[in-house]
Amino acid sequence: MKRRDFLKYLGSGIVGTGVGLAFGKVTKPPGAKLIPYLIPPEDVIPGVATWYASLCTQCSAGCGILVKVMEGRAKKIEGNPLHPVNKGRLCARGNAALQALYNPDRIKGPMKRTGERGSGKYKEISWNEAVSILGRNLSELDKNGATEGLYVLTSTLRGHLNTLIREFMSSYGSPNYMQYELFQHRNLIYANRVSMGLDAIPHYDIANTRYLLSFGADFSSTWLSPVNLSHGYGEMRQGGARRRGVLVQVEPRLSLTGANADEWVPVRPGTEGVLALSIAHEIVAGGYYKGADASSWKELLSGFSPEHAARVTEVDAGRIHHIAKEFVKTRPSLAIGGDNLSAYRDGLSCLVAVNILNHLAGNIGRKGGVVPNPAGLLKGRTGTELRKDRITALAKSALEGDVKTLIVYNTNPVFTTPAGVKLERALRNVPFIASLSSFMDETTAMADLILPSHTSLEDWGDDFAEPSTGVRVATLMQPAVSPVFDTRGAGDIFISLAKALGGKVGERLNYKGFPEYLKESWRKIYANNKEVAAGALTFDGFWNRLLEHGGWWQTEEPRHKPRSVSVRRVKAHIPTSPSEFEGDEGRYPLYLVTYPHAGYLDGRGANLPWLQEMPDPMTAVVWGSWVEINPKTARKLGIKQGDLVTVESPYGGIDLPAFLYEGIRPDTVAVPIGQGHRLYGRYAEKRGVNPIEILPVAEDKRSGELALNSTRVRLERKGADGKLVKMGVRTEELGRGIVQTITPEEFERIAGKEEA
Amino acid sequence: MDTIKKLVLCAVIAVVTFGIGYKVSDAYFGNRTPAQPIEFSHKIHAGDNQIPCMYCHSYAERSRVSGVPNVKRCIGCHSVIKPDSPEIQKLKNYWENKEPIPWVKVYNLPDHVYFPHKRHIKAGLECQMCHGDVQSMDRITRVSSLKMGWCLSCHTRKKVKNGRDCWTCHI
Ligand code: SF4
Repeated sequence: MKRRDFLKYLGSGIVGTGVGLAFGKVTKPPGAKLIPYLIPPEDVIPGVATWYASLCTQCSAGCGILVKVMEGRAKKIEGNPLHPVNKGRLCARGNAALQALYNPDRIKGPMKRTGERGSGKYKEISWNEAVSILGRNLSELDKNGATEGLYVLTSTLRGHLNTLIREFMSSYGSPNYMQYELFQHRNLIYANRVSMGLDAIPHYDIANTRYLLSFGADFSSTWLSPVNLSHGYGEMRQGGARRRGVLVQVEPRLSLTGANADEWVPVRPGTEGVLALSIAHEIVAGGYYKGADASSWKELLSGFSPEHAARVTEVDAGRIHHIAKEFVKTRPSLAIGGDNLSAYRDGLSCLVAVNILNHLAGNIGRKGGVVPNPAGLLKGRTGTELRKDRITALAKSALEGDVKTLIVYNTNPVFTTPAGVKLERALRNVPFIASLSSFMDETTAMADLILPSHTSLEDWGDDFAEPSTGVRVATLMQPAVSPVFDTRGAGDIFISLAKALGGKVGERLNYKGFPEYLKESWRKIYANNKEVAAGALTFDGFWNRLLEHGGWWQTEEPRHKPRSVSVRRVKAHIPTSPSEFEGDEGRYPLYLVTYPHAGYLDGRGANLPWLQEMPDPMTAVVWGSWVEINPKTARKLGIKQGDLVTVESPYGGIDLPAFLYEGIRPDTVAVPIGQGHRLYGRYAEKRGVNPIEILPVAEDKRSGELALNSTRVRLERKGADGKLVKMGVRTEELGRGIVQTITPEEFERIAGKEEA
Repeated sequence: MDTIKKLVLCAVIAVVTFGIGYKVSDAYFGNRTPAQPIEFSHKIHAGDNQIPCMYCHSYAERSRVSGVPNVKRCIGCHSVIKPDSPEIQKLKNYWENKEPIPWVKVYNLPDHVYFPHKRHIKAGLECQMCHGDVQSMDRITRVSSLKMGWCLSCHTRKKVKNGRDCWTCHI
């Protein structure tokens, strides 16, 4: 090395070190600050967590939670180990509730519309002003004798907030309180009513069953009470010394639950009811049913021979016979019908067919079968509520000008109803809309006034889980943190409205706030119910225990009382032919199955980044939407993995990437529900598509449930780049020998050797 | 060697030494005795007046953090003791404006280290072992490097159970 070069290197070294030193000095972050409390809050030790027992409201299952709070901030949510519904477990949606609380897109205070409706222009106002605007509007209605023009629409609330709103409405003089959600299990409730006389959802005792026949019930991710049922499933498979139970999943598209099953029966969409009745036919024909009315069952089911059913359902007659035999001979067994089933046009009848199966095998009211829940602590739902609450009726009343003022809370019907309902247009016809939503969603955008409510971690409330677990369960919700923004509890808003209105309503709801109302209501339950009061000396002691445990529940084993289904009752409700699908078969050759996404459910979870990041359990797709197509079908249509395709129904088309999926019938395609929000904050907006838009308006006349699986579609390849984002998952083994196989002959040879 | 190669070599050397310089500055020239918003003297409190550490840092026994005294606690004594001294006037201002005092952190650990005061106190360590002769300092000076080697040397010397396990501190 030359001397000059050496000096150059040395020079650059010195300059480098010097600049590094100086840079380090200049850019070093100023010392972190150590901020003391001014006055320390009681019972807070910095660095030590306080846990509050409360309620999860991310879906309608009603799980109990524990919220970890440090220095006044909620940090983590866990399942409440004492709670009978989720037994200390929690699903992904429950975990993500934290991100609803601290979501940057929350509405931070009351607002009044200033621009055109739907323009999104709002002005911040004070709570006093907001309440008085709505109060004035309602007094005006009252003066004009038009109190019936007030409509209130909420999610399917079950606790005392529900009672409060009902009291408000009845004393104000309006019968128009409605509840609406996309997955509200109305067909299931109605099917139970017509077949078992039960106006409720029973507990499905999966934990203790040994043969589970599931018709499209994806209980591992979304159906009814997923945490409870998944836990039950774990018990059934490997609980203690009992023999491992069998799961048979009947569904055209393989769900997460189906992927865990011993047998997947890819039935033709819409024929599950016929299949169920054919299994029932085999039970009766095989003489397994010993009831006195066996002959009338035989007569009712005579048209459902396996040979006939095989042609309709594309399931082998032999297989039907086999399932029937296993189902009735394995004790105890259980048949369940899920969202996929109830989403057909005659979903209600299909669910009745499932109930018939349970009756014929003697599963109703038995351990390991269908376990009706005892009457709840609150008065249950009434039949009229079921009949009256339908979203199409609301749209119609709005169009006809009957809806003068609408208050919406915790539900987003503009997103969750097919375009054909024309709800948005109908809402434009409503003179005044107030939304109590914490987020700007598609429905709230129609509001003239926004009174943002607390999220579940800031609010008081309670819930009476349905389905429960065969025992009475009540869960209390208490604020784990103080409100992050200038919001109020929904109950408080109704009470302050009552105060503003005065008169009869003001008298009826003369409470300081919702917490007082809640506590008073519980005082009544305590006074009227010996079982609840047992073990507590005073109400205050009882109340403290409620807060500490997160609620009250029976701890004994459920009592079993067999129930039956009679031919007379179900005769008019059984499915006679496959469910109908719209769209001409020639033009629209494929069935469309839509299903709730494991994270977003009906779309409500789409604004939580954790859920957006969570890969779908079956496809590993993140962030977007996709359409599942069988590789055979795709090959025929020239579609490759990730291609952009148009899915077109008679009601419109959506563009989304293709996902080639072996777990779906070649004549069926599937699209998850939940994405495609126009509004709902930065994480949800303009991501994927909303398949509900292209669904027909098919409402069951009896139950009011919207049929989601009721149209056929056609596919067309649009381009190469559908922007499918998925985790690296391969379905091939690549010679790694993950699944070991041997031929039957080889197996016999080895087995023979071992015996010898 | 052609010029390009030489230039590249120069650049590489410069970058590497820049890194070294930055590290050295961080480790040896960081401000170990930062100025505080109020000239609070530990010498007067803990030294001359012998107030026990945990009278003010009251969470040390119960929590991960030792805690800084809340402003109410300071003003509790100082509404009577030396209320007219200029530094106490500053304290009074904070209290009257309902503002917390923005103390500058002297011992700062990165987020990926879990350090519980509680365990160390339970193990019978004196505060001074890590924080030095606090009772003779007017302005607090950081006396420990807070480097991992420093933690480990003590864990090793004292034969702490699982004391050299990664998961003990990095959880
Ligand atoms: S199942 Fe529903 S209620 Fe239970 S934790 Fe999940 S989201 Fe919450």
